[in-house]
Amino acid sequence: MNRTDHAAVAAPARVRPPRVRPSSKNRPPRDAGRNVFGYSLLAPGVLGFVAVGGTALVWVFWLSLHSVNALSQKKTFVGLDNYVRIFHDPDMKTVFPNTAFFVVLLSVLGTVAAVALAVLLNQKLAGINFFRSAIFVPALVTMVAWALVWHFIVQPKGLLDGITGAFGLDPMPWLRGGTLTLVVFAVVQMTKNVGVNVIIMLAALQSVPEDLLEAARLDGAGAWARFRHIVVPQISPAILMVFMLMVTGSFKVFEIVLLMTGGGPGVQSSVLSFAIYHEAFELNDIGYASSLAVILFLAVLALTGIIWQLRKRFVYYESD
Amino acid sequence: MNRTDSGPGQAARTGIRYLVLAAVSLLLVGPVLWMVSASFKSLNEILVFPPTILPTQFRWDNYARIFELQPFGRQFGNSLLVMAAVCILTVVLSLPAGYALARVQPVASSIIFVVLLSGIFLPPEATIIPLFLLASKLGWINTLWPLIIFTAVLTTTPIATFIMRQAFLTLPPEFDEAATIDGAGRMRTMLQISTPLVRPSLASVVVISCWYSWNQFLEPLVYIRDVNLLTVPVALTRFTDTYGQPLWNVQMAATTVSVLPVLLVFFFAQRHVVAGLAAGGLKA
Repeated sequence: MNRTDHAAVAAPARVRPPRVRPSSKNRPPRDAGRNVFGYSLLAPGVLGFVAVGGTALVWVFWLSLHSVNALSQKKTFVGLDNYVRIFHDPDMKTVFPNTAFFVVLLSVLGTVAAVALAVLLNQKLAGINFFRSAIFVPALVTMVAWALVWHFIVQPKGLLDGITGAFGLDPMPWLRGGTLTLVVFAVVQMTKNVGVNVIIMLAALQSVPEDLLEAARLDGAGAWARFRHIVVPQISPAILMVFMLMVTGSFKVFEIVLLMTGGGPGVQSSVLSFAIYHEAFELNDIGYASSLAVILFLAVLALTGIIWQLRKRFVYYESD
Repeated sequence: MNRTDSGPGQAARTGIRYLVLAAVSLLLVGPVLWMVSASFKSLNEILVFPPTILPTQFRWDNYARIFELQPFGRQFGNSLLVMAAVCILTVVLSLPAGYALARVQPVASSIIFVVLLSGIFLPPEATIIPLFLLASKLGWINTLWPLIIFTAVLTTTPIATFIMRQAFLTLPPEFDEAATIDGAGRMRTMLQISTPLVRPSLASVVVISCWYSWNQFLEPLVYIRDVNLLTVPVALTRFTDTYGQPLWNVQMAATTVSVLPVLLVFFFAQRHVVAGLAAGGLKA
């Protein structure tokens, strides 16, 4: 590595952004200033994050090893008892599958819907701006407001029953548990977030160089080929981002559960995030709730870690 | 532009596109229109089946009752305060961090990036228990502090940093290098050369951090007991009769009112978000 310091000479060799390789011990001296500058930019955000986040994570793990009396604040060390309890808790045989249902359904459908809608909204159609604004409307409503409105819509003898009634169908038990309730929740959650994801995708779509598409068109590539081989690689970082936001977001189906069914009947419509809140702040079982929180954290960490490891296969960065 | 695909097939495709767009728009906007309609109905009319599309009689007093039932103006102010604080804090923290991760890349920045990334994926429910205990120890229960500090530091800053990093990564390194060669300092290069080029992403950061802080529900639900300190989302759930049943019409009126400020932010930031990076300077 005999890089000269003369920028004009070095320039052609540095088409890609300079990557820091931890292995290269004899770095040129100018890197010292680079490090100081970089760390001082990173320090406020990263230190705050590590201090608060680190404390919280260590603490929640510590709490999960205890049985906590909420009234006297007394902690008794119980080892992994809380985790063993999760396996024997019949409620969790509903809560965990429900959580997985949302994660799979919302992340896949949510990402596909965002790409499809963004492509549709990127067309040069008359009045397209109206639809672009329309799609963002639910994002302007708070999650709570959206859940309340939908709660109102799926009420017995509400709007949805009115609509199904107009087609000659009997009123449906929208919120009385089972798969139907989970599907209602999934629709409510997905319609709420799709606008933000579409905006992210649209921004990415509009940064796809027009001359690349034009060149492909001249070479005879059809619409699908252009989409598959030019647009998708170009917007793949945005797809990755939306997918990961959807994966993590789908663990947060919380407001809907709390406001529309309270997890009921029984725990039929409960999910992990709601169970944590319920155990900790309604039943005051801090230790058990903490063990569920640790499981939630590990599940999210594992999933996102796997996706992040796989990203090189699916995501195209120009600098790579 | 020469389009090879034209003719009657093209017209049919356009028709289908409009149909899909109209159906999706109805699904997404319909509930909001329904909310506005219900906000003007009397409680009797709310319970009529099949429901009336438009109120037979406009009950404007539903909107007055919002403020009689709760200190809604105050709660609204609380939400605006939290939103502004989270927004500013997030931009101040994430812009330099994103720039450092993308363009400066000090030693071990990829490790730092992965650590920060875990914040995006950290569900608030996973940390709410220790954060509640921490807030108790700091004397932050019944204050807006945890809604601002914890949210900005733990949730919005990591997302924003990720967005800013992605944005700065798409700038060609020549931009920075040219500026450095021309004698601009590192700080000046970041703020005056690179930052203006990522304005659309900066707008996204503002939108997303406002959106997130305005949406907060679990946090105020847990940290705040005093009705005067509540933020809008939790307040919306408290429009109930003495039996705990929702007063649908007043609740929908309050919900309608709660949409307004986010609408303002959106229309202010919309063009920045939608105008892509390419228009921002790379083609120039």
